[in-house]
Amino acid sequence: MPNELPFIDPTRGGSRTKLQRAPRPMDLAGKVVGLLDNTKEQADIILAAVGEDLRKRYGVADVIITRKEFFSKPAKPELLDDMAQKVDVAIAAVGG
Amino acid sequence: MTAAIDEFQFFLEKEWSDGFPVVTPTEARVRWMLEGTRCDPEEIIGHVPPAGEVMSVRDVAIHALMAGCRPEYLPVVIGAMRLILREEFNMGGVQCTMHGVAPLMIVNGPYALKIGVNGANGCFGPGFRANATIGRAIRLLLMNLGAGLAGKASATVFASPIRYTACLAENVAHTPWETLAVSRGYSPDENVITCAMVESPRLHFDDVSTEPERLLRGIADSMTSTGSWNMWFSSDVVVAMTPQHAGLCADAGMSRADVQRRLWELAERPQSNLKRGGNWRPERALAMGIDPDDDDHPIKAVKDVNRLHLIVAGGMGPITAVCHGWNESSHAVHGTYDT
Repeated sequence: MPNELPFIDPTRGGSRTKLQRAPRPMDLAGKVVGLLDNTKEQADIILAAVGEDLRKRYGVADVIITRKEFFSKPAKPELLDDMAQKVDVAIAAVGG
Repeated sequence: MTAAIDEFQFFLEKEWSDGFPVVTPTEARVRWMLEGTRCDPEEIIGHVPPAGEVMSVRDVAIHALMAGCRPEYLPVVIGAMRLILREEFNMGGVQCTMHGVAPLMIVNGPYALKIGVNGANGCFGPGFRANATIGRAIRLLLMNLGAGLAGKASATVFASPIRYTACLAENVAHTPWETLAVSRGYSPDENVITCAMVESPRLHFDDVSTEPERLLRGIADSMTSTGSWNMWFSSDVVVAMTPQHAGLCADAGMSRADVQRRLWELAERPQSNLKRGGNWRPERALAMGIDPDDDDHPIKAVKDVNRLHLIVAGGMGPITAVCHGWNESSHAVHGTYDT
């Protein structure tokens, strides 16, 4: 981005890659939903309840719960790639 | 040239600052700042999490300038950023956490003394340009290239005063012991930075003790607390003794390593004590391999003695500063830097 200011833009002026958001499904019926457990205590309990509710209320075909390594660390790319292969919709959740 | 722009205001409105005015980065000033390093300005140092924006030597120079650094401080800022971006330090986690810890830089070696990094009176700040601006440059980089902005990428609840700056030396003129860096095997002639992810210092006053055991028992008490994460995770803890407190131990024949070990031994509470409040929960005890019903089981403030970083700093007086840690996903980093 050309810098027309008399000084330097310290943020690199928006050189970041713009990523497109994944298309949002209008309906969860028959879909496979992935829930990402951040490993905080009781996240597993909350997510199990959410998964059950998604099945009952929205007709979700299957719920796959995946745990990342540690809540303060990002999920590994392999884990995210694996989820992307298996699920139609993914939700990152926070326990605690 | 648009003369109408109030540049100080502009930087604040853009959230390109920590809330204070910055030195406006112009091409001429950045060239001046780059005189402080032999590194190629285009050298890529890494990507600053969580936004992952690329950071070159020139970017570091821009932010060092904005923070108010002199060119001779630049090698320390570059050296620190190389360490801070190491995976084991997990800066990305801290950029996003609810917590308020910050990377505290302890700078050892002759170069820090030469450029005036203060390890004596008032070393946690304010009032000392090197301490204030080196740490501030780090913070501005974390904000502007990492997007570690409160309420945005950062979920920090309170943040903390040490998120403005967190850089100090040791009081080498008055310490009875070798420095932290030398204790790790570096030579006294090497320029070394240690970064540990910690909270703001808590001051432990003891103008009463006349022998080490009482003194250390009290400091150890300040290292333990309900509600402190280092009770339930393997964390780094920094303990900064003044020359007076360190001298009391040294006069009794204790080495630096002796004091480090004794503090590590003493800084514990029985599980029953920690159950009274704070962040005890059975899952956390179990995760540490401890029976949650074993009330007498001692819980150490520092799980690994090597993660207790003992330094001698501050002016004359009967105080030790204790900085509690964060969690096991961050491990303190240290290394030499080029001047």
